[in-house]
Order: sequence, then structure tokens, then C-alpha cells
Amino acid sequence: METSLTTKEVQHVAKLSRLALTNVEIEQAKEDLSTIFEHIARLNDVDTEGVDPLDHPTELLNRYRDDSIGKPLSQEQVLSNAPAVKDVFFDVPKVLGGDA
Amino acid sequence: MTTMQENDVFNAFHEIWDVPEQTKTGPLEGMTVAVKDNIVTKTGTTTCGSKMLKEYKSPFNATVIDRIQDAGAILVGKTNCDEFAMGSSTEHCAWGPVLNPWDTTRVPGGSSGGSAVAVAARLCDAALGSDTGGSIRQPAALCGIVGYKPTYGLVSRYGLVAFASSLDQIGTFSVNVEDSAHLVETMAGFDELDSTCRDEPAPELTKHLHKSIDNLRIGVPSQYMGNQNTNDVEAAINAAIETYRALGATIVEIDLPLTDVGISTYYVLAPAECSSNLARYDGIRYGHRTDKQCKDLFELYSESRAEGFGSEVKRRIMLGTYVLSSGYYDAYYNNALKTRRLICREYETAFKKCDVILGPTTPSPAFSIGEKNDPLSMYLCDVYTANTNIAGICGISLPCGFSEVDGKLLPIGLHLQGAWYDDANLLRAAQMFQNSTEFHTVTPECVK
Repeated sequence: METSLTTKEVQHVAKLSRLALTNVEIEQAKEDLSTIFEHIARLNDVDTEGVDPLDHPTELLNRYRDDSIGKPLSQEQVLSNAPAVKDVFFDVPKVLGGDA
Repeated sequence: MTTMQENDVFNAFHEIWDVPEQTKTGPLEGMTVAVKDNIVTKTGTTTCGSKMLKEYKSPFNATVIDRIQDAGAILVGKTNCDEFAMGSSTEHCAWGPVLNPWDTTRVPGGSSGGSAVAVAARLCDAALGSDTGGSIRQPAALCGIVGYKPTYGLVSRYGLVAFASSLDQIGTFSVNVEDSAHLVETMAGFDELDSTCRDEPAPELTKHLHKSIDNLRIGVPSQYMGNQNTNDVEAAINAAIETYRALGATIVEIDLPLTDVGISTYYVLAPAECSSNLARYDGIRYGHRTDKQCKDLFELYSESRAEGFGSEVKRRIMLGTYVLSSGYYDAYYNNALKTRRLICREYETAFKKCDVILGPTTPSPAFSIGEKNDPLSMYLCDVYTANTNIAGICGISLPCGFSEVDGKLLPIGLHLQGAWYDDANLLRAAQMFQNSTEFHTVTPECVK
């Protein structure tokens, strides 16, 4: 498998990652990620034919708790770490349509 | 009397707290414990060593915090770590690198470097850390103390800031195996706030700790020995094998051929989970938000995250995003998950032949600050520890010798791994070693 990344691919990954990177950072990431993927390519040498993926060491099934009312955090507690609050809401830029 | 602030010349702590006048009575009564800065506490801040969470104050305690406080532990503060626990040197901390007390030009290991140093420099009795691929055991080895990662699911992760949820586990640092056993015995047991926590009572880790294991079988894989280790590391591990032999243990040759692909598997799985877990840092509900005027939410997210995260965290988020993206998922992520099952099977086979697996914790002692400046060489520090987390078994690092470099003694770590939920026997085997060796009693010069 091709292990080196193109500038365009790194830009796309940065966008998917929601990271605004500078051109210098993109070029550095291209180099670093390519080196890392070259190492990761060792996985191709492992014979995984017919093996089921294991996504969790415990292989637990869903655990359900009682459907009863607990004690949630207060509104004040939940908002206390927010960078911007308006009344009892998280304050964000305009989400839909037009200028902010 | 000097204060802890004055004694912490290593930047081990991000915050040092006033010690309360009264504490609770219990099995941990009077034990001073430092807490890695990625475990949430109502006291002080929880920053994860990141500008992203510079001012974050948790409205609740992690389950482990409540449990050890109820048992009498005295919490002394929060320790510096690699940002969001991603690193093997504690150089990637927004609050500056942590220094190794054995040689302050060297790293303490990571990511729980601050916790390891707090104990190694005897600033407190014990410390909590988290281990995702070696982040407790590797710094314990490099700082000459005990570092214990319990079996996955033994200790609740509620309140541990998530990095890679299927690999993360809270564990301990201490001078003696016994203190770690007491701490984990207190922290373990079912917690309804963590759905991956094992639904069983806490195991008895201290009851038979000092009773030697009859007919102990020690497995030594050829993959852990040889050229990749420094001469001093190889000699110290061979000496440890002889110590066990003298105690009546049988040394068994075992085979773990997938040791070599552990890092490759880990660096697909851990970043994949990290990219998902760290998506929550969006500058909306908590954490850093950019001051720039943003035209839309996308820009607000991207700018806030670019300003808040450091370079290693960004790299891992991108790595994870890439392996999970359309067209690469099967080739990377799914293939790594299949290899994960094979790694588990390999351990299952090994544990039929032995009770614990022995090897070095790291191939070499502490390296210099700035020495490993390319990411891959840093990742390879975890070559012996990552598979423990991939399989979810337990592991412990113990001081087992020293390497003299430039006139300074640098500690070497002995790594023991135990089977799933066989923590009591792992700790007994570790205690046997400490009963017949003195390495854990040697302290860095700053302590004298």
C-alpha cells in the first residue's frame, strides 16, 4: 500500500479533523505522517485471513442501568466552564444562513 | 522545613494543594497521593497538560478520587503529563517539560512523567496515573519506582479524561508494591458510571501479597531479549531472571512473535479512538475558544482546536481521522482490530505455559531532553508495553538495576505482565522480587 501522503490528502484530513493548520504545519504533517505510515505498513505482513476484528478487550455486551431518575449536574455547573454564555445558553456564532 | 513547592524543582506538579487538617480513617490513612492532571478533581483545575483545558474546573470527582479519599488518602496536587496523555517523555506538556530527578538533563518518561517524578523524588508516597500504551510503566522504569497498570476493567475510568477508551486504564506509582496494591484494591470494583468496568467485587490484592507463589512459572519471550536492548538493560533483566530462579521459579521459554507489530497496531487503534474522543473539544461547552471573529461554526471549531492543541495531539488526531476515513478503514483500522485479536490469542497461549511474563519495560534507560525529536522514535519507546493494553491484561514495572551514564545512575525497569484479572498473582510475583532485592530503596541524590 502507498504510505506517503500528498499535500492535498493532508489538507483533507486536517479539514475532517477540524484543525486550521498553516502551510508549514501541513508540510510537516505530510512528512511525519508518511514516516509513521511506513512503519504501520508492517501490519500488512500479518496474516489476518478469517480473523474476526476485536474492538474491545472485554467483549462486554451492552449494559443497561435501571430507568430511574438520577441526580444530574445543575445548569449552573454545566455552564460554568463554557467560554461564552448568554442567559442559560451556550453562546455560538450564527449556525444557519446569512452573515453572522 | 522546606515546602513541596520548593522541593519540586522538576516541574512534576502543575498544582500543589494545601493539605487538609483532617482526613478520613481507612486503609490509606495518611498516604499522600499526587494525581495525574487528566483525572478530574473538584479541587483545582484539570488541564490534561493542554492549553485547551487551561482553566477547566471539573464539577465532579473521578470515581477513583472519591474512593481513595474515603479510604483516608491525602491528595497533594495535580501532576504534569504529556498533553492528553500522548507521549513517552512528558516533554509535550503545555506547562513545560518534567525533569528526571536522577539526571535533570533527561526525561522522566511519559506520559505520566509528573506522577512518576513526584514519587521518585519522594515528594509524596504514591501517585495516580493512566496507562494507554505504557504511560505508567515506562516512566516508572525511567524513574526507578513501581508503576502498576491493572487489568482493563478492574478500575473505573469514570472521570479519566478519555484518550483511547478501549486501552486507557488508571493505575498507580509507589516505592513499594504494597502501596500500589493497597491503592488499587481501594479503587477497584464495579462502578455503575463506567459501563466497561467489570461487574465483580474488588479483588483481594493485599491479603496474600507477602505469600510467595509456589512453583512460579516465569515466561521469557525471545522477542523481549537481544540487540534492541542496551547491554546494561539486558544484564539487569538476566540478573532478575536469576533472582527468580534462586527463589524457586521455573523459567519457561515462550513465543510472542507479534511483539514486533504491537506499535503498528497501537498507532492505528489509539489515534483512531483519540480522534473520536477529542472531537468533543469544540470551544463551545468548555475548553479554549478562539478570539478570532469566525464566520461560521466550522471556522470556530477549526481555529479553536488549532490554537488549543499542541503538535503531538494534532498529529494523532489526523492519524486517527485518516485511518478511519473512507477508503482506508478496512486497510488500517479493521486490519489492526484483527491483529488485536491475534495478539490476545498469543497471550492466551503464553499464559497456559506460565504465570507471569518477564522482560524489560523499556529497551534503554532515560534519554536526553530533545533527543527523540521525530515522532516515530518516541513511539518505539513503548515496544514492550503497548501490547499489554491492546490485550487488556495487567502489567507492572519494578526497579531492577542501574545503568551508569555520564557519571549518573539511571534506573532500569523490570516488566512483569499477568493474565486477565490475575492481578493478585502479578503483584505477589512482584513482591517476591522486592523481598529479595534492594533496588527500590535507592533514591536519587536530591533525596539525600
